[in-house]
Amino acid sequence: MAAKTFMDPHDVPMIPGTEGWEKLYPYQYQFSKDDPERAAFESSQIWYYDGLHYPEPHFPFDMIWDEAWSLALSQYNTRHVIIPPAMGIDHRIVNGYVYITPVGIADPEVIGKRIPLFMERAGYYYQNWDRLYENWKKKVTALIAELEAVNFTDLPEIEDISVITEGKGVGSGYLLLKKYDDVINMGLLNWQYHFEFLNLGYAAYVTFINTCNQIFPGVPIATLTKMVSGIDVVMYRPDAELIKLAKLALDTGIDELILKPLKSADMMAELAKIPAGQKWLAELEQSRYPWFHISTGTGWYHHHISWNDNLDIPFDAIKMHINSIKAGKEVGRPTEKLIEERDRIVEEYRKLIKTDDDREAFEQVLGVARTVFPYVEDHLFYIEHWFHSIFWGKIRQVGQILQNAGFIENADEDIWFMKRDEIKQALWDYSTAWATGVKARGPSYWPKIIASRKSIYEKFKEWSPPPALGVPPDTVTEPFTIVLWGVTTDVLSEWLKGDSAEGEQNILKGSPGSSGVVEGRARVLKNVEELADLQEGEILVATTTSPSWAPAFVKIAGAITDVGGPMCHAAIVCREYGLPTVVGTGKGTRLIKTGDLIRIDGDSGIVEILERVNK
Amino acid sequence: MAEKSERLTLWYEETDGSDFPIVGKKNANLGEMIKTGIRTSPGFSITIGANEKFIVETGIKEKISKYLEELGEVSYETTKKASAFAMSLIEAAVMPAEIEKDILVNYKKLCDLSSTDNIPVAVRSSGAISMPGQMETYLNIRGDKDLIEYVKKCWASAYNVEAIMYRANKGVGFLFNIGVGIPKMVNSRVSGIIFTLNTLNGDPSKISLDASYGLGEAVVSGLVTPDSFLVDKVTLDIAKTTLGSKETQCVYREGCSDIVQVEVPKEKQEKLCVSLDEVKELCRLGRVIEDYYGKHYDIEFGIDGDLPFPENVIILQVRPESIWNKKEVTARTEKKKDPMERILSQLLTGVKIK
Repeated sequence: MAAKTFMDPHDVPMIPGTEGWEKLYPYQYQFSKDDPERAAFESSQIWYYDGLHYPEPHFPFDMIWDEAWSLALSQYNTRHVIIPPAMGIDHRIVNGYVYITPVGIADPEVIGKRIPLFMERAGYYYQNWDRLYENWKKKVTALIAELEAVNFTDLPEIEDISVITEGKGVGSGYLLLKKYDDVINMGLLNWQYHFEFLNLGYAAYVTFINTCNQIFPGVPIATLTKMVSGIDVVMYRPDAELIKLAKLALDTGIDELILKPLKSADMMAELAKIPAGQKWLAELEQSRYPWFHISTGTGWYHHHISWNDNLDIPFDAIKMHINSIKAGKEVGRPTEKLIEERDRIVEEYRKLIKTDDDREAFEQVLGVARTVFPYVEDHLFYIEHWFHSIFWGKIRQVGQILQNAGFIENADEDIWFMKRDEIKQALWDYSTAWATGVKARGPSYWPKIIASRKSIYEKFKEWSPPPALGVPPDTVTEPFTIVLWGVTTDVLSEWLKGDSAEGEQNILKGSPGSSGVVEGRARVLKNVEELADLQEGEILVATTTSPSWAPAFVKIAGAITDVGGPMCHAAIVCREYGLPTVVGTGKGTRLIKTGDLIRIDGDSGIVEILERVNK
Repeated sequence: MAEKSERLTLWYEETDGSDFPIVGKKNANLGEMIKTGIRTSPGFSITIGANEKFIVETGIKEKISKYLEELGEVSYETTKKASAFAMSLIEAAVMPAEIEKDILVNYKKLCDLSSTDNIPVAVRSSGAISMPGQMETYLNIRGDKDLIEYVKKCWASAYNVEAIMYRANKGVGFLFNIGVGIPKMVNSRVSGIIFTLNTLNGDPSKISLDASYGLGEAVVSGLVTPDSFLVDKVTLDIAKTTLGSKETQCVYREGCSDIVQVEVPKEKQEKLCVSLDEVKELCRLGRVIEDYYGKHYDIEFGIDGDLPFPENVIILQVRPESIWNKKEVTARTEKKKDPMERILSQLLTGVKIK
């Protein structure tokens, strides 16, 4: 391929009407020509849009997770386990969308010096993986318990007498500020933990994939995932809980009651009136903590609420399961079949290896991939779902305080347009005004700013971020870039193509997610609340899916997502359900309309719009 | 139902390799393949016993014996005479009613199976000893009348001069009954070739499959660029699909058994010629054949336009793959002390982008 490049990151035009957008985000996230050295670096790198995590533009508060992983991922590569040829991943933001770039090390001497450090440090982790991982779970669950214990309330008119009698000597204003800092710090710590194993997990996984590709050139990624995929995967537990509750409802004869079209609160009130219902509600409580902390999205955005945030969602899913069971369908993961299939695939592949050296290589990489895989799959539940869901709830409490104090108009919507440091400033304003007994400036300051940011945000939404900016490198050595974002020759050339072609587009190219070809009517879903609209046999088109959507998978004929690689959850889940799936099409939800007749080919990654529905 | 050895006809699936004294080798082999799970074109055998019954009941057996006595010493000249005598007697004889009925009942079943009247069949000779190419096979025979005629021709072909002399050399007598196979002509909507490995690099975890419209000649002789698939042998998932141009196809000339080329309509060229299910079924059969013979195989197949899936997926011919089976296998990976060294080496190599 000729040395084709993408648009220079400094040349991306600003969207009219978004003047001053830079203030929504940290200053270091801007592409800037202030410093020639930094500008030259920016121009020489490949920057790709992180659509995997961010299908929508960024909210100023939600940037916390981007900054958190920018710090944590990079530091583990660069300073902790010392990945020899790779530094971290650098971040920028353009028109509300995050672009990232892997930073390599070119000097062989530097790489050479890093090797012994890597062997010692990474070696220690791989050798003590299970013990360290058990320890990790303890750390993370303790942190989550600490987070749960924090609650934000309005400052009191008068301090409680105990402040005096117990000689506490601190006031609620100070404690509010401190608690806010504490919660933010817990969030950052949570992300420190997140990457403790992940970099090494992906390194092992890349090695597994590439070694298998040497032995079996072109082996489908789906086959490799089946070889290592865990059976007792935490991410599937929430759905398993729903199935348990659906079966219990059927066994105790309260299924008809649960199928009534009531909101969850009314339904629970009805159930509480009868003994079987009370027993069922007790089981529900058991399942809710922690399993209903699963997010309805990826957990990355504040509006990805959890089942616990809106019980209507799991109730609808339980209804789907009850109906499926009644219709004699298999529900949930066919665990035994999966184990059988996994063992068969590995056994048959073993038999296909013809030399002892290759056999040894295969066993080495399979062993280490299987060691790391439970973490790679399960960490999502602990971090992005369980922790994040509770965290968003705590920030909503802060939003309520600010709404009550007149700083913002809507607790659910407005606080996310403030940066986390700005919230801290607002809390200072609120606390000092409370302490002094005067009117705070906040009510006259924030509403204007938030209104202007909302309008900028709406304009960001209309913009289509180009998939990449800058100059493609010869080689990528950064493990995340390869496994998670799947940045390869094919992907880059597809991106380069997409740069020029626009207009009526009936063919979309993504990555093969799950094998098979299927035709059907599309159902474009923006969020989990719309799952109820899904009709039998439709093809699900979504930005991304979450394991919390699992109950819908028995209904659909296939799935397409805008974001994600072969390792994303939509792909993994669909492979388990045997549904043809194409992931990472980039713009499926924009180009496809509900009702369009489409064909998806989960083997080639091609989606074709065969017939467009009339508007 | 009578013992196998008493029957006049037997369906392929009723027989196996050990039945060659009853139906002849070619027919018995087809039975064996079917038993193993290798699907071939549906059909039946007319037994060697039916041939015997035919020559007895028509008096041909007696007439030939007498004629041979008259001819005396065996020479090339007398053999030629005996051959002409036997062949004309057989071809002119009236098929005994019982045999005719039996054949036609089975032919009717074959027509019903394909939902077509007068379905074309092949009439293939099948001796109990191997006589490669000595006797006749007739293609595209259709209708009751022709079928009976060609069965007689096929029986008669056992008495052509070459066949008689070949047998004489092996010490086999003049009178020789053979089996006849009546398989449905594969009405190949699509045909192609399977190799039970990746032909490009010998990777045994893949199946290579090439397919194009019409008869197999188009693919075998490289007349067209076929659709080509690389399939994971273990999961039967497709690893790679390449759409071929497939401009022309080979078909039988209307009502004849010679082959002509015709153009493939544009819209058919642009589509894959096989369905995903057909690809998987073909690869499954490829695996069965490989497992049965214990080595990589080269397989010709047809997809029959008259039959429903999966009965339409038919194996035409199998032979051992000739290149990779013989190659010495070397390791594809570098030797590494432990997984850590392997991970390190992977990290240092990275993934090439350009």
